[in-house]
Amino acid sequence: MERSAELGIAQWRAARQQRAEINLRSFVLTLGISVLAAAVLATWLPLQVSIITVFLFAGPHNWFEFRYFLMRLPVRFGKSRNFFVTAFAGIAILTVTYVSLPFIYQTAFWVNETGLIVLATWNTLLLAWLAVLIRLRAKQKRTADWSWTTPLLLALAALNWLGPEFFSLAIVYAHPLVALWFLDRQLKRTRPAWVSAYRRCLWALPVIVGVLIWHLSQTSPLGDDNGLFWRITQHSGAQLLPQVSSHLLVSVHLFLEMLHYGVWIVALPLVGTGFWRFEASQKRLPRTALLVIGLVGVAILWIGFATNYTATRDLYFTIAIAHVLAEAPFLLKTL
Amino acid sequence: MKTLLSFACLLLAVMFSTQTAVADIAKPKTPDQPSKVVLRRNLEIVPDGKVWSARLQLTQSDLQELRAAIDAAGGQPGVAASIAQSPVRTIIAGLLLFLSVSFAGIWLTRTSAASRARKAIAAGILVVAVLGAAAIITRGNAGPPPGYHNWMKLSKNFAQGRATSGDMIIEIVPDEPNRAPGVKLLVPYNPKQSGDE
Repeated sequence: MERSAELGIAQWRAARQQRAEINLRSFVLTLGISVLAAAVLATWLPLQVSIITVFLFAGPHNWFEFRYFLMRLPVRFGKSRNFFVTAFAGIAILTVTYVSLPFIYQTAFWVNETGLIVLATWNTLLLAWLAVLIRLRAKQKRTADWSWTTPLLLALAALNWLGPEFFSLAIVYAHPLVALWFLDRQLKRTRPAWVSAYRRCLWALPVIVGVLIWHLSQTSPLGDDNGLFWRITQHSGAQLLPQVSSHLLVSVHLFLEMLHYGVWIVALPLVGTGFWRFEASQKRLPRTALLVIGLVGVAILWIGFATNYTATRDLYFTIAIAHVLAEAPFLLKTL
Repeated sequence: MKTLLSFACLLLAVMFSTQTAVADIAKPKTPDQPSKVVLRRNLEIVPDGKVWSARLQLTQSDLQELRAAIDAAGGQPGVAASIAQSPVRTIIAGLLLFLSVSFAGIWLTRTSAASRARKAIAAGILVVAVLGAAAIITRGNAGPPPGYHNWMKLSKNFAQGRATSGDMIIEIVPDEPNRAPGVKLLVPYNPKQSGDE
């Protein structure tokens, strides 16, 4: 009797392990196919795919990100009060100043150099805010030594003053990669067995980007005679890097952006337990109300894209700095 | 209170002196239209007994590149040219770099039993700092460029009928009504080093 029970448990364990292996294999396979598909699409028709991708996924990915952040936000801040107050104040101030920059440029009639100094100052404020957040987080997590970040942030600030526009462009390219870091942290929490496989898959990323660069470096620049196409190439840095083919720049940026959207819209909701359980948050009316407002925002964004794609795209990428900034404190909280 | 009052007086005095000093500064001149560096190539000056007129020989590919560079120069400067053109930004970058290296040193000293990862990070910061400092020093024109010494031998080589080659940049200068039309070639010259004294 006892032996048959043991056999039953062993069989159940074996079946569970087999299921887990199948799940892991499916995860790796899906990840590989998605990354390759994104690379092929980004290389094949960069401008067209960029327009469709931003139209379809820009708003929803912000909503998913917002949902994830609300999920990770503690009900009471407690000891983290200073950290969250600094985070939210920084997000608000930096977003408002960033959004106001184009208006100031237009009204102040600055020469190019003054504009660069203002941009470098904004970037320095961003780095200073990050330094404060890291310090506050380090106080909470005394086991980790994060003092090495101070010289690193200072070195980044120095590079920013040497070429502020290049620093801003680096943020445009680095931001999509932050989503991969979030996924890593989430896997560690909910699917620890998948972490090593996921990290091995990440090694393919520089290889794919390298292949893209090798394949597209000699291609002729994309036709940017159309106002919208011109904006897409400028967003990828074609004006700052005239020696580099705009096809290469748009493709690499689009590839990273597609990964970013894929992680927030597909991967994180799938691996994050309780992502779709709204009943827990229904008790807290403000959160549900915020999510509904977010959905309305997504619908408005779609209407805007359908009505005037170019203007809505410009507006979206200016306001979207808020979600870029919001990722920093929430990522720090997961570390 | 007394200290605060003294400090306020001092601040006012400094502000007033600054205003006075600014008032003495001459009205700034309208800046001239700047020239644009569009291409860098090697130049060879060859004395030739068979030609009766000076010739500037360019390859087809160089000409195409020059044309493209001139077109591009109308819009934005190149990557290298756009990095830290202003003294203000260079000074702030230098200061931050100095602070970065200082903090990195303190951090390294504090973590005496530094692990490999920490050493790698410290080495990375040091490399960035050295590269940045090198860039700043280069912008500060620490020494003559490599091609300079080749041009010093020009007159000697010319006297001996030998060719001289060195670094050359192609610069587009604005049109001036009082300037004679034609191409001007500026060659580095130092009587002491050239042996023409």
